Amino acid sequence: MLDIEDLQVLRDRQPLRYSLQVHRGEILAIQGRSGVGKTTLLDCIAGFATATAGRLDWQGHSLLGLSAAQRPVSMLFQDHNLFEHLSVADNLQLGLSVTLPQDRLQEALDSLEVAGLLTRRPTELSGGQRQRIALIRTLLRPEPIVLLDEPFAELDPHSRQCATDWTRRTAKAAQKTLLMVTHQDEDVQQVADRAIVLQRPA
Amino acid sequence: MVAAGLLALAFSLAVTVLAFCGLIGFDNARLDTRLLSDGYFHSVVWFSIKQAGLSALLALILAWPVARALYYSPGLWLRQSFLSLCVLSFVMPTLILITGLVALLGRQGLISPWLGPDWNLYGLPGILIAHVYLNLPFAVRVQLLQLQHIPDSSWKLAAQLKLGAWQRLRLIEWPALRAGMLPLFGFVFVLCFNSFAVVLALGGGPRATTLEVAIYQSLKYDFNIPEALTLAWTQLLIAGSLFLLLNRLGGSQWLGVDSTRQHWKPRPGAAMQRLHRLVYASTALALLLPLLALVPGILQVDLARFDWRAIAGPALTSLLIAAIAGTGALLLAYAMLLPLRFARTEGRTTLALLFDWLSTQALVAPAMVVSVGLYILLLPQLDLDYWGMLFVVLLNMLLIVPYAVQQLRPRLLQFDRQYERLVRSLKLGLRARLRVEWPYMRRACITSFALMLLLAMGDVAIFSIFGTSNWTTLPWLIYGYAGTYRMGEASVASLLLLLICALMVWLFQHFEKGQQDA
Repeated sequence: MLDIEDLQVLRDRQPLRYSLQVHRGEILAIQGRSGVGKTTLLDCIAGFATATAGRLDWQGHSLLGLSAAQRPVSMLFQDHNLFEHLSVADNLQLGLSVTLPQDRLQEALDSLEVAGLLTRRPTELSGGQRQRIALIRTLLRPEPIVLLDEPFAELDPHSRQCATDWTRRTAKAAQKTLLMVTHQDEDVQQVADRAIVLQRPA
Repeated sequence: MVAAGLLALAFSLAVTVLAFCGLIGFDNARLDTRLLSDGYFHSVVWFSIKQAGLSALLALILAWPVARALYYSPGLWLRQSFLSLCVLSFVMPTLILITGLVALLGRQGLISPWLGPDWNLYGLPGILIAHVYLNLPFAVRVQLLQLQHIPDSSWKLAAQLKLGAWQRLRLIEWPALRAGMLPLFGFVFVLCFNSFAVVLALGGGPRATTLEVAIYQSLKYDFNIPEALTLAWTQLLIAGSLFLLLNRLGGSQWLGVDSTRQHWKPRPGAAMQRLHRLVYASTALALLLPLLALVPGILQVDLARFDWRAIAGPALTSLLIAAIAGTGALLLAYAMLLPLRFARTEGRTTLALLFDWLSTQALVAPAMVVSVGLYILLLPQLDLDYWGMLFVVLLNMLLIVPYAVQQLRPRLLQFDRQYERLVRSLKLGLRARLRVEWPYMRRACITSFALMLLLAMGDVAIFSIFGTSNWTTLPWLIYGYAGTYRMGEASVASLLLLLICALMVWLFQHFEKGQQDA
């Protein structure tokens, strides 16, 4: 279980506080108005923002003392998920386990309709195509915790349907603990087991 | 990885510290304080400042109309080639220019008969001509880049308000240039103040000697170490203070790719366009003439009987020194930037500033000062006739490291800004990280390497202290030929050096443009 209790993060010198629990294999949608601290929470779990107080445990072990590279987390950022100077194929290989069966990757590429893009550079892709490529890599990595920051924001309705279906199917099959920031209620309905709404600090 | 960077920083700092140990009178060498009240010392300091100030002022004033012509008339014939010539003129070894100037304006010069009986290239006139030639192209590029930063909206607003030419100059053009003028003046001043080869070759007697040349003469001709130490400290105090002042003012960007992508700017009238073409053509001619003046000298030489081995050896030596120093400088710079990048990623600003300063600290002391310091320190310990070349390579490498740092730093920091979180999130190891970083940095590395080669190829100051006759470099050979009036051989050697440098400039610009387009 991912256990967050009274976790405090300073942003622009203002404290943000979080308390929540997510069970192993559960998919949690995080909603709330812009600026409320959704991305900061993901950054803190991934090790990119420093907590000043509180607890952040995974399976009973604290993550707070670990660097970003040591945490069992795979994260999809809002942007800059792909190296612009490498091909899509090279980008996909980064961070994936060498034992990942090729057919799983192929199935993902087919499901998200990006199989024909492997030789291209990210600069040659649309925003939606880039997002789907990055989504595949994030979910196929061996890390048990997956953090998605507005993963479907740039997708058209058809791609969105494919991506949400595949995300839920893949996360459930691999027992991933998934936290997803989204503004869309339909994403919550199609992907998440439950949702929380973060409130602006008083 | 960060440990390797700290080691590289420590190595560079250690050499500077050792040079200072030499300068503070290690092994019983003492400053000659009586020199400070000597008329010779005063005239050397005054001449160093005067020639640098005049050179900088002339270069900046003369560059302005050229930069305006390039800015307002982007359709000028061979504009890109002219801008490449500007880069070549600024970075080419000064001995090439000196050979060309002597062939053109020396006692037997091609156009000397038209300059009157009193004309003498040697002394202040020759030094000013050479310094303006070397620095005007640099000033042109800086001023052009500043003009290109004027936004379209300013010109459109000026047109809406029906501003006249004088108002546009006062309200738009001058404010765009003004901020960069003082740093530009300061930078050119420092370059001219630290200029060695030009004054060595074209300076004449005690009345036209700078501190750098006086240091060389007192060390190599008179073997007067206390005098060399006193002069070196004076040089360090003036040049070092100026460098620190310049650092506060901010640097001058000049190697940016020329951009004519601006959509709207005032179109000059027919008369102004003619003036622009005239200024442009005159400048191009002035830059080309000293290079073309090498041709008659080459024609005098019987190329079939020419002793090619005499220049092949020094050419290879120069290339070898430049290649080793350039590669070493690039690797050191890459390593030195690791602690800085780490500190920035961790948000430790003060530490990042410290690492930033440490990686460029070699700029504070001029090449001559560091060389003299080390020379005096090592002289009792080592056979410098035997080990001298090792120090030529080592010092060349360490003194160009700051330029490599300045070239690589923006690209690496941009990489970190864009991808550091992703790299950490993907948990990339050293090999995987290099696999990702290298394609991103490849062009920047090649560009920097070409620049490092150019800088190391032209060195005369370090070689004059540590060099040996067994391993003469091409610039030093040219100096030897020119000093004994063997202008034919000097011209052939200069042309060879020029061709090597032109190739590097082409390489540099080719990859730099690719990097900007990427």
